[in-house]
Amino acid sequence: MMEQAIATYREEAGELLAELETSLLDLEETPDDNDLINRVFRAMHTIKGSGAMFGFEEIATFTHEVETVFDMVRNGKMTVTKRLLDLTLQSRDHITYLLGCAIGEGVDRSAGDEIIAGLRQLVPRPEMPQKGSTEVPAITLPAVSEEELANESTWRIRFRPAPNILLCGTNPISLINELRGLGTAHVVAQFDEIPQLADLVPENLYIYWDIILTTSSGEDAIKDVFIFVEDDCDIKIELIDSSGLIDREEGYKKLGDILVERGDLSPVEMKKVLMLQKRFGELLVEQGIVTPEKVQSALVEQQHVKSVRKERSEAPPAEAAASIRVPAERLDQLINLVGEMVTVQAHLSQVSLAGGYSTFIAISEEVERLTNELRDTALNIRMLPIGSTFSKFKRLVRDLSNELGKEIEMETFGAETELDKTVIEKLNDPLVHIIRNSIDHGIEMPEARRAAGKSPVGKVYLGAEHSGDSVLVTIRDDGAGLDRDTIRAKAVERGLLSATADVSDREIYAQIFAPGFSTAAKVTSVSGRGVGMDVVKRGIEGLRGSIAVDSVRGTGTTITLKIPLTLAIIDSLLVKIGKDHFVLPLAAVEECIELTSDDVKNSHGRNLANVRGAIVPYIPLRQHFQITDQRPEIEQIVIADIHGTKVGFVVDSVVGEHQTVIKSLGKVYRDVKGISGATILGDGTVALILDMNVLLQNIEQMENS
Amino acid sequence: MPLNSSVRENGNVVITSGNSLTIENAAEFSRILREALDAAHVVAIEFEADVAIDIIGVQILCSACKSASGSGRKFTYSGPQPQGLTDIIFSSGAERYAACKHNNDSTCIWFGGAQ
Repeated sequence: MMEQAIATYREEAGELLAELETSLLDLEETPDDNDLINRVFRAMHTIKGSGAMFGFEEIATFTHEVETVFDMVRNGKMTVTKRLLDLTLQSRDHITYLLGCAIGEGVDRSAGDEIIAGLRQLVPRPEMPQKGSTEVPAITLPAVSEEELANESTWRIRFRPAPNILLCGTNPISLINELRGLGTAHVVAQFDEIPQLADLVPENLYIYWDIILTTSSGEDAIKDVFIFVEDDCDIKIELIDSSGLIDREEGYKKLGDILVERGDLSPVEMKKVLMLQKRFGELLVEQGIVTPEKVQSALVEQQHVKSVRKERSEAPPAEAAASIRVPAERLDQLINLVGEMVTVQAHLSQVSLAGGYSTFIAISEEVERLTNELRDTALNIRMLPIGSTFSKFKRLVRDLSNELGKEIEMETFGAETELDKTVIEKLNDPLVHIIRNSIDHGIEMPEARRAAGKSPVGKVYLGAEHSGDSVLVTIRDDGAGLDRDTIRAKAVERGLLSATADVSDREIYAQIFAPGFSTAAKVTSVSGRGVGMDVVKRGIEGLRGSIAVDSVRGTGTTITLKIPLTLAIIDSLLVKIGKDHFVLPLAAVEECIELTSDDVKNSHGRNLANVRGAIVPYIPLRQHFQITDQRPEIEQIVIADIHGTKVGFVVDSVVGEHQTVIKSLGKVYRDVKGISGATILGDGTVALILDMNVLLQNIEQMENS
Repeated sequence: MPLNSSVRENGNVVITSGNSLTIENAAEFSRILREALDAAHVVAIEFEADVAIDIIGVQILCSACKSASGSGRKFTYSGPQPQGLTDIIFSSGAERYAACKHNNDSTCIWFGGAQ
């Protein structure tokens, strides 16, 4: 049970660390954004609190230090600087490392110690008192879990020490700091009883304190703080707010009510002042009824409780969880089962239609409807916003640009675009390679950019948007752009292109994805070995996606990845050639037209069809797959759009639309070009899924050679 | 410089803080302040950078400020506020953002950051 809880903590902490990274990188752009500062603080606070609960003491201790610093930022006592962000990002990496270590195992603290030392240098001194000082560091928040947060109460404490408290050896500041250690405290020292020098007994203490404390510890814990002084001091502890209070509103009492409750103002005086229709606090001070310090103290209470209530109201109620956490393997299993069900349902439809029994057909249609809904719902469960990976790339850009001495900013858009979880995971490596290349080879050094009349700060844009049943992921930089001539020369030298071939810019740029292709004059630690882009191509093709490159010399390069939304089940067109069935992904299919034997004869072997005046090349699949039985009198051309070009695929007949559950072909058939998988049809036969893009490339290559 | 006071040519009194303004020398500190405020219209404290100040030191500063305000004198400090004072203001919750009625309704120069 505990192991399961620890695994859940690791998973949640991982998500919080990802969120933390995103917030920190955003904070670099808008250092004054309080929401972001609060988000960083909350992430740290939760990692720390839950860490302590599950035995990750190293994480709790380390995170506490970082959290303390961000609490100061949150309270306006420190500002966000680049150094602070650098250290906090390093802290995030260190927590990730600690998270990977087994509980109780020896960990390397050196990196953490360095980070803490760096953070301490940034902190204004009150947080880090000098050795020998009697004062304890300021506000420290206890390690509490989110559940404990829900049980917090807010207390009003008036602590009036005995005048000789210091002479008796007790430091009241130590007691106040003990209270701070119980939760979140706001402390206001009251000076109104300090007399003038003539009447002052210097060693006596005239100051008393109002403390507003929000804590999940009970009243007894508060009383324990004063256990040794309670007989001599005047201590009043009142509960002023709790998550369990029935009449809880999001706001809080009015200033006058607080002062009356505290005994600092009488109800009669309050009524009198209210009749004057001015700001209540100002009136009280103006009329000398209440001192400004008391008003300030009451305002602190009002503000404190309001923020506690606001935070509580924004938090999701624990008992009505809006989401539940499910291991990814169970989702994969669900998708597999839904896939099986789609196949069985197709079989059922086929059998019911063949039987011709109307009640059976009606039931079969109902099962089909439900299966389709189940399929869509199951697939949607696996959809995640792609933005969850964007922060990783922002960090990559930040770190690499520092390493290379370049100034680069990353902008993202479309973070909310959803893609299948597996697709997002598999997109990671290709995106890393593309972005590394953009930074290393695309974006110029600041001096070169200035000389070219550009801003010294380079930009890398990463975005995603829906396009039909695919998502377009765009990586754009405003760097030097690709050198068309050099790429062409290199491709010719390597035999990838013929020296005389008339090829488009896109085709030339596509050469950068050839294995081992590199035009880099030198190999850096970042890129230049000609390995990365080959990996990109294989990765994207593995996702049944495609890559397009556009570039303008001196202006920049845009790489567009077209990725299918899901890898599990696709809408497709079922076709037949001879006795075999094949499946074409429906997303690329535009229309189907007839191809008669006369048309074939008239084209004189050129494989071109006239589609409403436009010439469309076609690929006779029967010929390509060497299917030798009798071709029908009238065939069908399935016209598809491949990278903006219309291409026809000739089949015997079109069966119709089909829900295709994709099954991989296994290791032996992995390298068969033009076939991306298989599916099982209703009658149990297997249909191959055609990769139209690769088929086209294959045929082009064959013709070129 | 030890805790001491000196009269300047313009008649102002300057009190040097020494390295401690705590309960241990509270009596002496308050006496020096009282005498200075009796003798001069302007009394300023020059803090040692590393002076240690406790809550009693804070209290004496507040008391002296009230006394000066009551008798129409000026009580201030010269040079930067020492870290020791900033520390104790922060840890004791002595920060003041409202005007002080004992200080002619002005923002407190000691605990409110204005000077």
